[in-house]
Order: sequence, then C-alpha cells, then structure tokens
Amino acid sequence: MIKKIAVLLLLVLLTGLLGGCWSRKEITEVAIVLGTGVDWTNDGRIRLTVQIARPSAFAAEGGGGKEAASWVVSAEGKTVEDAERYLAMKVPRDIYWGHSIILVIGEEMAKKGTGMVTNFFQRDREPREIMWLMVAKGEAKDILETETDLGKTSAQAAGFLTRMKTGYSVQLREYAEMLASKGVQPVVTRVEVKEAGVTPVPEQEEKPSRHKHVELSGVGVFKEDKLIGWLNASETRGLLWLKGESEKGTITVPSPGEPDKEVSIKIRRGSTKVIPEYDGENLRFDVMVRVEGDMVEQQSREDLAKPEKIKALESAIAGEITKRATVALEKAQIEYGVDIFGFGDAFHRKYKKDWQELKDRWDEEFARAEVNINVEARVREIGLLTKRAGTPEK
Amino acid sequence: MINFIKPLRAVLLGRGKGKGRGSNPPAASKPEDVGLLSPAWKDQVLSPNLETNLRQIKAILNNCSDVIYREFVFAQNEQIRLALIYTDGLASKGQISDQIMRALSLEVPMVVSCQEITKARAMEFIKQRGLCIHQINETGKLQDTIQAILSGDTVLLVDGHATAIINGARGWEARSITDPESEPTVRGSRESFVETIRVNTSLIRRRIKSPNLKIEALKLGEVTDTEVVIAYIEGIVNDKLVAEVKSRLERIKVDAILESGYIEELIEDNPWSPFPTVNHTEKPDRLVAMLLEGRVGIIVDGTPFALTVPNLFVEYLQAPEDYYERFLFTSAVRLTRFLAMIISLTLPGLYVAVTSFHFELLPTTLLLSIAAQREAVPFPVFVGVMIMEITFEILREAGIRLPRPIGQAVSIVGALVIGEAAIRAGLVAASTVIVVAMTGIASFTFAYSASIAFRLLRFALTILSAAFGLFGLISGLAIIGIHLCTLRSFGVPYLSPIAPTTGVDLKDVIFRAPWWAMLSRPRLIVRKDQKRQEQGLKPAPPETRPKK
Amino acid sequence: MLEQGKIDAKQAIMLMVSMVLPTAILTVPAITVQYARQDAWLSVVLATLAGLLIAWLVASLSLRFPGKNLFELTEEILGKVPGKVIGLLYIWWFLHTNALIMDEFGGFLCVAIMPDTPHIIFFLVGAIVAGYAVRNGLEVLSRYNQLFLPFILGLLFVVFLLAAKDMKAARLLPVFDAGLIPIVKGSAVPASWLGEIVIFTMIIPYLNKPKQAIRVAALATLFTGSFLMVSILVALAVFGPNLTGHWVFPTFNAIRVISIANFLERLESVLIAAWMFGGFAKLGVFYYAAVLGSAQWLGLKDYRPLVAPVGLILVGLAFLCPNIVNLLHFIASGWPPYAIIVFEAGLPLLLLVVAMARGKGGKAVD
Repeated sequence: MIKKIAVLLLLVLLTGLLGGCWSRKEITEVAIVLGTGVDWTNDGRIRLTVQIARPSAFAAEGGGGKEAASWVVSAEGKTVEDAERYLAMKVPRDIYWGHSIILVIGEEMAKKGTGMVTNFFQRDREPREIMWLMVAKGEAKDILETETDLGKTSAQAAGFLTRMKTGYSVQLREYAEMLASKGVQPVVTRVEVKEAGVTPVPEQEEKPSRHKHVELSGVGVFKEDKLIGWLNASETRGLLWLKGESEKGTITVPSPGEPDKEVSIKIRRGSTKVIPEYDGENLRFDVMVRVEGDMVEQQSREDLAKPEKIKALESAIAGEITKRATVALEKAQIEYGVDIFGFGDAFHRKYKKDWQELKDRWDEEFARAEVNINVEARVREIGLLTKRAGTPEK
Repeated sequence: MINFIKPLRAVLLGRGKGKGRGSNPPAASKPEDVGLLSPAWKDQVLSPNLETNLRQIKAILNNCSDVIYREFVFAQNEQIRLALIYTDGLASKGQISDQIMRALSLEVPMVVSCQEITKARAMEFIKQRGLCIHQINETGKLQDTIQAILSGDTVLLVDGHATAIINGARGWEARSITDPESEPTVRGSRESFVETIRVNTSLIRRRIKSPNLKIEALKLGEVTDTEVVIAYIEGIVNDKLVAEVKSRLERIKVDAILESGYIEELIEDNPWSPFPTVNHTEKPDRLVAMLLEGRVGIIVDGTPFALTVPNLFVEYLQAPEDYYERFLFTSAVRLTRFLAMIISLTLPGLYVAVTSFHFELLPTTLLLSIAAQREAVPFPVFVGVMIMEITFEILREAGIRLPRPIGQAVSIVGALVIGEAAIRAGLVAASTVIVVAMTGIASFTFAYSASIAFRLLRFALTILSAAFGLFGLISGLAIIGIHLCTLRSFGVPYLSPIAPTTGVDLKDVIFRAPWWAMLSRPRLIVRKDQKRQEQGLKPAPPETRPKK
Repeated sequence: MLEQGKIDAKQAIMLMVSMVLPTAILTVPAITVQYARQDAWLSVVLATLAGLLIAWLVASLSLRFPGKNLFELTEEILGKVPGKVIGLLYIWWFLHTNALIMDEFGGFLCVAIMPDTPHIIFFLVGAIVAGYAVRNGLEVLSRYNQLFLPFILGLLFVVFLLAAKDMKAARLLPVFDAGLIPIVKGSAVPASWLGEIVIFTMIIPYLNKPKQAIRVAALATLFTGSFLMVSILVALAVFGPNLTGHWVFPTFNAIRVISIANFLERLESVLIAAWMFGGFAKLGVFYYAAVLGSAQWLGLKDYRPLVAPVGLILVGLAFLCPNIVNLLHFIASGWPPYAIIVFEAGLPLLLLVVAMARGKGGKAVD
C-alpha cells in the first residue's frame, strides 16, 4: 500500500519535471547588462539606461574586431522596475543584472535623492552588492554611451578604473552602510566624459579625432541620500587621508635645497587614526596620519641621499598632506557642513552614551568641532640612484 | 529499499489479487528439463568388470572424439588388463607415456617378479609401487570418473576392481604470464593471472609463504564444473566472513560459470546498486595485498580476474603502485584521482546548471565568451551536452570492440576530432566539447568498475541539473551519498573508513601514510589481529630512533 | 526496540551539529542583529550558555532511563495517559519545526538561486531526499552526515577566511553599545535553536556508549554555538551593525561581497551547495525524530512504513506560513517562547523533577 503511494508520488514528481523547468534560461535568451545608469527626467520620471553586452564581440577566437561590443538602450518609468518593464519592450531578451559592474546615478537624480532608485539593486537578487556606485556629472546616459579603447565597453572601463582605487571608490554596499550610519555621510565617486587619448589608425587622411572617454574625477558629497556638492581630485586626496582609506598615490613637494624644482614621492603605505576628545561641551578630533613612501623622481640636481635632506623631505611631505587634508576638511565642515569622514563613528566607538545624545544633530556638532591633523611621514627607499648625473660636487 | 518495478507493474497492469504470484519460476515438470543438471547415471558406481566400465563410459562419452581409450596389459601378466582413458589436449601425453604406461609395462618387471601379482592384488600394487606419477586419487563412482576424464586427468581402470585410479597428469596449452592488460602500472610486478587456476594459485603462494594462507577448492556450475578457489589468511581474516563467503557460494546452482563476473552477480549484497560491492583484480600482488588486509579472494578457473570481498569504496581510489612509490608523491596522485572522480561525476551537470540557471556564478568574461560561442548553436545546453556524451560513449565502446589495427584510430583523439567537426558544423559549442572530453578523460584515472558506475550516474545527474539547476545537482549528489551510506559489502559498511569514520584508518584514504606509519590493518574488516607491524620503524639515525 | 542501529559519539556530535547549524547561520543572524546590533555575537555566547544548560538537563534526563527514548520515558515517568499526551505534543512539535525548516529551506533557495520555481518542488525534493535517508535508518543518516558535514563546515570556514579582506574590526565596536538588555533579547532566538538539542533524547538510547551522552550534548552545543558566533561576526564585520540587520540573509550577502585578486568572486555558490547538503541533513534529523516518535506512540514494530505519510504531512505543513515575512516574524517572536518554555526546557525539567520525586529511573550518571 505504502509502495503504491510512493509510486504515485514519484509519477507526480516526474510529470512536474516534464511540465517545464521554471528558472531555466538559455544564455542566448538573456541580455547581459554590463553597466546601469539612472537619470531623472524633466517630467519627473526615472530613466533607466543599460549597456548590454553583444556576445559575438567577446568571442575568444577574435570575433570582435571592429564590431561594437555593446548596445546602450534606455527607457522611462515611475520606478526602476517600472522602467525595466518598458525596457523589456525594446530589448528582445530577458534583462540579466548579475554582471553589471557599475551603477551610475545622474546628477539630477542624485540631487533628488538616490533613495528613490537604489532599493531595487539591493532587494533583487541579481544585481550584486559589489557594484561600483558612481555619480555622473551630467547624465548617466552619456557615460554609458561613450566609447572606450582599452577594454571593450565603457562600463567595464569605468568599472576597472574604479577598481584600481586611485580616487575614492565605493561599492553599493559600502554606500548603503554609510547611509545607514548616523556617524558618516556618504561620498560617491564622480564620473564624467572627457576627451583623452587617441587611437592611432594607420593610413588615415585626417588627423585622428580625439575620443571621449570616461574619467573619474573627484567625489560627490551627499547629505543623507541627496547630492549637495562636489570635491575635486585633489580635495578627494585629502578626503582619503582623513578617512584612512586607499593611501596610495604621489606627493610632490619642492626639493629641500632647490625650492623651484620638485621631488615626487610615491606613497606605499599609510594609516590614519582618529581620536575624539569630548568633555561634554567641546569636541576635538586628533587625526594621526602615518605615511611611508619611496622617492621616485627628482627634478633638482642636489644630492638628496643624505639623512638631513631626507628629514627635510619628510617634513615637506607631512606639510603637503596636512595641507590637502585641511582643504578637504574645511570644505566638509564649512561649505557643506557634513561629516563625510566617519568621525561620528569614531566618536560613537569611544563615547557610547554621549553619542546617543549627539547623534541626531551630529553634522552640526561636526561642523563646530576642532580638528588637529598630525602627519608623520617616512621616506624609506630612493629607488636605484643615489644622486643624479651632473650633481655639483660640494 | 523501495522496489518500484513490481508495484508499478501491479498498478499499471491492474493485477489485483495474488500479489507475487506471477513471479515464481515454473516448477520442473518434464524429465528432459532435468537432464543436464542431474543425469540418470549420477549415483552409479563402477563395476569390477573392465568391459562393462568401458562400455558405460563410451556410451556416456559417445561422440566425444577427443577422448582416447588405451587398453594394455600389466607388465608380463597378461591376465591383468588395464585401460587408460584421457582427453586428448587436456592430458599431458608425455607423462602418460613415461610415467604410467612405461612404468606399468616396462619398469615393473625390472623390480618385481610379476607372477606373484595376482589379479586381486593388482590394484594395491599399482597404487603403491607400480605408478611413477606424482599425484593419484581413487574413486568408485562413475560420475567422478567422468569428471576426472573431462578435467584433464588420466583414468586408469583395472580389470577386476571396481575402483578407478585418477592420475593427475594434466597439461594443456595456456596463455603465458604477461602484463596485466586492464591494470597497467609503472612500478611493481608485471605478472598477471592467467586462465589456469593452478597457475594463479601458484602466483599467490609464491608471494605468501605462510602456512596460514589457506586455499579451499570447490566446483561450481552444473554443466561447466568450473573449479573455484577461496583464498584467505587464517588468523587475519574474520572467520565469520569466510563462513559467509562459503555459504553464499554454496547457494549457487547454475549451469555455467564462465567468468568471475557470474559469481560476482550471484553473491553481491545489493544487485540494484550501480556500485559494485565485490572487487576484482588481474594482478597477483594486488590480490595478495588484499588478503593481507583480511579480505577473501575468490579465484575462478577460466578467467584471469579474481574477486575480492569485502569491497570498500576507497579501493577505487587506490592503485597498487600507490604503495610502491613514496608517500608524498602518491598522496598527491590520489588527490588528483579524487578530483577526477568528482569531475567525472559532476562536471557535465555543473556545466548545464551554471549555463542554464545560474549565470551569476561565472566570471563575466567567461560568461560572455560562452555566450558568444552559443550564439550559433541551435540546441539548448542540455541537449548539446547529452548529444556529445552519447557520442562519446559510442566512440568509447567502439574503440574497445574494434580489431586492434583499426582500434587505434578510434581513440580519445578521434573523439576530439569529431567534436571539432561538430563545432565547425555549428551543432555544439566548443565549451560543451571541452566539458565532455574533460569528463571522459577524468573517468579513466580511477578504477574501471567505479568509473562505470559514475558513467551511469553522470547521466542521471545531468538530467537533474537540467531540470532543477544546482538544486537538482546537489539533491542528486545527496541521494547518491545516502545510497552509498546504505551499502554494505559482506557486513562492512561500504564507505568506511570515511563514514563511519574510524580515525586511524584514514591514513590510507586520500593521503597515504608512509609504510613506517601503517601500524594497523583496517579495523572494520579485520577483527582480531590488527597489528601489522612494529612501531618505531621510521628511518632515522640510531640515537634518535623513537623508542618502542 | 524500534531502532536497531548504533552510532558512536563522533557521529552523534555531528548529527546534533547538523540539526541546528545549517538554517541557523542563514536566518538567525538577521534577527539577532536587529535586537543586539554589533553585540549580536555576545547574544550567541549567552545563547550557547543557555543551550548548554538545556543540553545538560536533557542528557541527565535520558541517562536516568538507559535505552529508552523520549516517548518511552515520558510514559514511564508520568504514566500511560499523560505520557501519551506529552508524546503527542512532542510529535506535533517535531513536525511543526520540521515544516518551518522546510519553509526556510525553500524560501532561501527560491530567493537565492531559483526565483521562478514554485516552493513545492523544494519541499518535495527535500522530503524525498531526507525521507530516503530516514528510511534506511539512523546509521545511514549519521553516516551521510559524517560524509558531508566536515566538507560543508570546512568550505564555509575557508570562505569566511576569504572574507577577512572585507572585514573591519572597527565595525564591531563599541561593545555593549546599548547595554545588556538588547543582548539578552537577541539571545532568545539562538537559544531556542540551540535548545533543539532536546531531540537528543531520541538518539541517546542508540549511542554506542550511552555514558558519553552529556559530553556529546555539551560538545555539540559548544561547537554549534561557536560556529554560529563566527558566522555572525563575519556578517557584522563585513557590513557593520546598521546594515547587517537590513538583509534577510546576512551571511549570504557577506559571502557575495568576497572578491580576491579580481578573480575569486561569486563564491555564494559554495555556500548554497554546502548549505543544501546541510539542509537535507537537518531535515533528516527532525524527520527521523518525528517518524520514530510516531511509531513509538502508535506502538508499531517498525517505523519504516511511516516515512512516506509523515513526509506528506510535512510538505503540507510547510505551506502554513503564506510568505517569508510571516515566517521570519514567527521565528523571531512567536517561536522562541513556545519552543523554549514548553518543549525544550519546560517539559524536560518537569519530567526530570517528577522522575526524581517519584524515584523513577536509575541514578543520574554524571
């Protein structure tokens, strides 16, 4: 008896198998999105732009060549998902978000508030939390419609650029984390379209035209989820120092003995510690930055391979970093009035109880706070040369 | 285990009452049915009259032109007549001529005055002093006599006595001892078993010179009367195991045993499982190693493949030269084999699952590359994989069956060439061919019997993956895992020492411990004497040697 | 007795770990973090202590009645009729919990990898695989577990290590942020999960060496608690206290974040595969308890015929919660009190006290 039941159950299951396999999709039925852009249109709708890969351009056996590697298409709707529905009318395949590397938010959209669009990308299982988030100067659509010459699509180019972390790079989940905390306000990488570089083509009659490429240039400053301003590239460096992230880069300072010539030091390692001090009334932050670098280039001709010269160099570096950090700090405190460095979180860690009082008006407290920046720089290596040819003998 | 076939049939064909009635074999009803298995002359004895005996034997062995009858007289006493019966081709003619005929005709008179030997005493005399042959037996039964003649022995009938002397003078053309064809090795003995059982047992004896090596003989197969030998090492082996093996063998009542595979199917624990619970080997050194671990070997005349029980799954990961080369290297090789096992079972399923359901699991560039390849292909991934798999299986089977000169062409390279052509024709994508080829090659790294099981299961897993993606694949693997856990081979759990985990036995599963660390025999097979060797054998300078 | 098989201490520990861990690392972190934020891992420590208490209670109870499983000993302590009533309650609890597990199983798989597939497929396949193991007996179930659990846990551990790059200790500070109360509140759910060790009463009679029962229960609880704590730590260290509670399955998302050398990405498949094997094992343990208990209660000689009907009941019950919000809500607030107070701690305590009072059973073995 039980055996018969089991058999019937099995038959049911088998017919279920034959009835169709619900989640199955063929690769050729799927539109693989490489980059996404969201804009706010003039009539108050959300425009979703996707850059879809054209697989034949990616074939391993040199199928690419001159073929366009991607197709950029847009549609508008009330929400992102709504716009996706309209997009489905234009795109002959299922839209697949699992490989989208970047999410670009247009400037207008960011000013209106990213909260209107980012929820879809976190709730739905296909988009990944490690998508690089960017704010476009202008429209996100333009970013996605640009060409690129190193790498096949502009989405990938922008994605890989961000991944290298030369400026401030933020993933979707890091943005969400910053948003969720009252101790820090979000900053997001800024991306824009600029002319850069040329692809020489043999035997061309006219001069090769300059292509437009995407470029990462600074960050956008947010209060909650609304864009309120920008920091340019050098201010972003200051931001990085204060936040304690991605301390790579180059510092260029005047040469100790010849101030009209420059010396460049490449930063290898760095760390930042923020120590809050609060006595109930006055709020002070002591920022300790430690930096290690190697000297890589020297325009002057003096002999820098001497301990006292190195010491001078180190203090020059410290000064330069302090200057940059101060610029970023002032912009944040004075011009924008938001704590984008995470000092609030540091305060929370040290002063649990006081945080509960201050957290709802933290940005005001932050704007009034006193910040001391203390930089300690070390030059470790000087490359392969001790002194340059033609250095005058003393 | 739920047996689906009977209830399925019952349900579908509507057999209501009498649930099992249609399934018993019909009882033997006609006399002719019984003939071969139980001849009329089965229990007859020999008669003292030589003529009668000869007549009877000739009647039973009529139309057997290779049975030779040689009648002669005993030395100088013409009263005593003798007859030799043997099978031409099975008996050693030189020995018959020299040691039987010459002894009885020529050499006896040199020793004794034959007038003294009367007809009555002839048998005694011949047995004790007359024959120069090395092995004799006696029998009074007709059936034993016939069996002896047909086995290659020479039967000597003496007029006036109702017993026959069976001389063990066998000699026939047999294959010489060569390389084992199904288990090639780089290092280690190159001898393999042959089809003659006595040669095989000699190969085992040569390797184990202990009196505890027992070799028990029995005959199976009503028509073929095949000699079967059970080998085990008393003192190491579990006595209950030997008793169980014997009882299962004695249950066998078939008409023919042509190969050890017949016996295997008749004694195995789980006929429905794709996994074999009885192992077989062609190499004497492997068999001997198994015996030393407490297993029982079953050697069958007529085939070089000997069976070993109990069989554990881990044996399919092991190859004999694992024990001859040094342990670091062989551990790495075993790891590779293990990976190959997993690949051969799951790779096509994984490929189908990932490219049909879970694109997010592939890196972007790989996904785009596969997508580019698939643009031109008309079939879904699953269909493509099945086509290539089936083609591969056909090619593989053809490669085994084709005659030697042509067989070389139809090899794996040939399969890849066909795959290449299929890609060009746009039938399948390149990635599909690679996946299938990789799976095929991986399946050759480990033992053939297990790879057969995996070949079957691989198809099932691919179908499950096509239906339910990764969920189907994992469910299938879970079911296979549970099934393996239910198997026992002669009482020993199939997956030991992995599950149930007997800690110390894990030294020989994937990582092979060096010989100086292999202190004990497998715990679940050997119950008594588990100590294999002394401790402290690790090579080291004398002062630093670990104390016992 | 009904079950002829015997398992040893190692297998029992692994079985008990499998009984709790697989779904725990998926659904518990979000709930606990919502109460205790970055101190959620402390909640788990607290819960482990509670779990140890329950483990000791349960093992002591069982040791007073060697060779008898839960249903046999309730009848012996309280008499036939009350014993049968309590037995029925436990059968219901096993079935209900198993149905909840199945629902989580299906829910997670649906969201994570196969959104279009109807839940019934997951329930059916889960029931079939687990049923196949249960039907073949306790030994097979524990062997299957022994086969896959080390592999699952090893893989998970490696994946957690790989997440180290994205973890920041600063996210775990400050400790005791909101005080002790939220930590205690957050420990209710993990404690109720760890308290499922009460099922051990169904397994103790079949241990090779029953005297090791307390040790086995304690080790299993400790191990489960530690692993759960580690998984919550990982999720917290990757996302921080504010964001972690926003995900439904934080560990899943934490693993999705891993990206090493721009190549080792998309590792959530490892979690899913590992978790599926564990899920089958967990379903199997509860299924086994329900089947064995039912057979005991009905006075049958063999529990095998009950496997299929119980499976069908389970699949049916799994549809109780209409959506995942209901399910999570129930697990967070409805289930812990009902489970701990009645089944995990309450009834066993009652049974132990009555047994000691009435002088039933052998001396408690320490």
